[in-house]
Amino acid sequence: MTLETVELRKAFGGVVALDGASVAFRTGKVNALIGPNGSGKTTFFNCVTGMIRPDSGRTTYQGQEITRKPPHAIARAGVGRTFQLCRVFPRMTALDNVLAAVRPGGFPKGLRGARSRSDLDRARGWLTRLGIEHLADAEARAMSWGQQKLLELAGVLMAEPETILLDEPAGGVNPALLDRIGALVRELNAEGRTFVIVEHNMDLVMSISDHVVVFDRGRPIAAGPPSVIRTDERVLGAYLGV
Amino acid sequence: MPNVSRRWFPLGAVAVLAAAILAFPSLAPNPYILSSGVVVLNYAVLATSWNFVGGFTGYISLGHGALAGLGGYATGLLVTKADLPSFVALIVAALLVAVLAVPLGLAALRVRGASFVIVSIALVLILLLVFQSWASLTGGSRGLVVPRPFPGLLRPEHHRVFFYLYAALLAIAVLTWWLLDRSRFGLGLKAIREDEDKAEALGTPTYAYKLIVFVLSAAFTALSGGLYALWFGDLDPVFQFSVLTGSYLVLMALLGGVRTLFGPLVGALIVGTALEYFKTEFGSTPLHLVATGVLLAVVVLVMPDGVLPAIAAGWRRLRPGEQSSIREMTAADLAEQRHRSRQDDRSGPQGDQPAAGETREEVRG
Repeated sequence: MTLETVELRKAFGGVVALDGASVAFRTGKVNALIGPNGSGKTTFFNCVTGMIRPDSGRTTYQGQEITRKPPHAIARAGVGRTFQLCRVFPRMTALDNVLAAVRPGGFPKGLRGARSRSDLDRARGWLTRLGIEHLADAEARAMSWGQQKLLELAGVLMAEPETILLDEPAGGVNPALLDRIGALVRELNAEGRTFVIVEHNMDLVMSISDHVVVFDRGRPIAAGPPSVIRTDERVLGAYLGV
Repeated sequence: MPNVSRRWFPLGAVAVLAAAILAFPSLAPNPYILSSGVVVLNYAVLATSWNFVGGFTGYISLGHGALAGLGGYATGLLVTKADLPSFVALIVAALLVAVLAVPLGLAALRVRGASFVIVSIALVLILLLVFQSWASLTGGSRGLVVPRPFPGLLRPEHHRVFFYLYAALLAIAVLTWWLLDRSRFGLGLKAIREDEDKAEALGTPTYAYKLIVFVLSAAFTALSGGLYALWFGDLDPVFQFSVLTGSYLVLMALLGGVRTLFGPLVGALIVGTALEYFKTEFGSTPLHLVATGVLLAVVVLVMPDGVLPAIAAGWRRLRPGEQSSIREMTAADLAEQRHRSRQDDRSGPQGDQPAAGETREEVRG
């Protein structure tokens, strides 16, 4: 098991966002996390990646406890993530955006130039793979939404995470780009990376994922392969309110 | 695209600036002007030190005046109470302030944005009260007299020596900033400025980064403050722990441009000179404060990025055709461009990268 949570709970005032969520994702697979708006998916991501502290419960990554670790430590353990409203460094070039994901390696290594030959090659390699290498010297804020989403992904990939959490990769992107993101996820997965994807686009979820977890009111109500989830009555009930 | 003029222009500008600074003491018509030069260089070092935090991480500190004051008082007290040689006292004082900056940073850097600004102001006000009321140690409002390091020197010579000492300190501060600016550590700091949570999510230990650069900034600030104590020879809490000092530094850095190496330095030259001029012209009336406020308003309205970036932008506008295009490109365009660049540069890394896609498509959301 890659990422596993046990009884995660998080309440914001009187609103219970996570209500004892115990989830296990599969190593080496494309996992999807779906559920209606407000079912706690993003809060779950934020708890797992250390951005917010759960009130109780535990998270483990590859068997190691990461519940109370700061986000950067979790990132360094091998968990990369994107944000729901795509976040890039707006006033840095695309190239620097990607280079910023390089581990500086403490003192005195961190004082070395940020643009070493090997890092530059790797950064340009990711920009090329995502099809935005012509924007390498453009500031991120000047790029379109779709380009920024690709750039964010390039930065996450630069850190070489084994597990990648994508928060709504299909949000606000056009169909052609959507296909490309889907294909890219499958490619990267074939290279050995585990994915956990929060997504509302059911076509994308059903076409690229191996394992689907369904959230409702802060806890999982079903888990299984897409073919099973598609016909699960609890899932249909949660989504359609039947 | 290595461009000869783009590479040599900044170097030439630096050479001219350095020559102007080094020649100033010989050109100054009288000791008063020379002493104003020392004050301006002091501001330049302080603003550059401030920019280690403000420019890299985007944390706006109004409390750096207090760090300079601590450096000044520590130096003065080490000379008068501990009988240390002046310049040993200066170094020890800077180290002490750096050590003290660890708990200060740990507390202050927990909060961001406006809260950090307020915490930094609180630091100044608290220290002002402490140094005013602890008169048995600091002399309180009567001030602390710091003996001069070179008792035999005449006043003009004294100014000249300290002018060059400040110039050397400025050179070290600028060089250090430059080293950080191009380093991996510096890129991490700039990432914090852009989006702290995002930087953290990418694996940057943001709290540690901020703390390290805050301590470094404090050490340089303390050196400048300590040098001031040795030069001026008289410390008063009201001037050493003044929110005004921090505000001047912010104004200088903003005016020059916080993202550029020489921004705070240029800002200090402009604002520092203006301050000295206003003071001589308007005496002790508060009019010089009004003029400074107007200057700040104009900068924020007209050149929010500062003088240097504004000049750089104007320079680029005069030389069209160099901007990198961010136009939408199709996969076919990209493939062609990739092909061309491979012909240009055989050692390129793109060889084993798969093509972005087979179909013509637009990358727009």
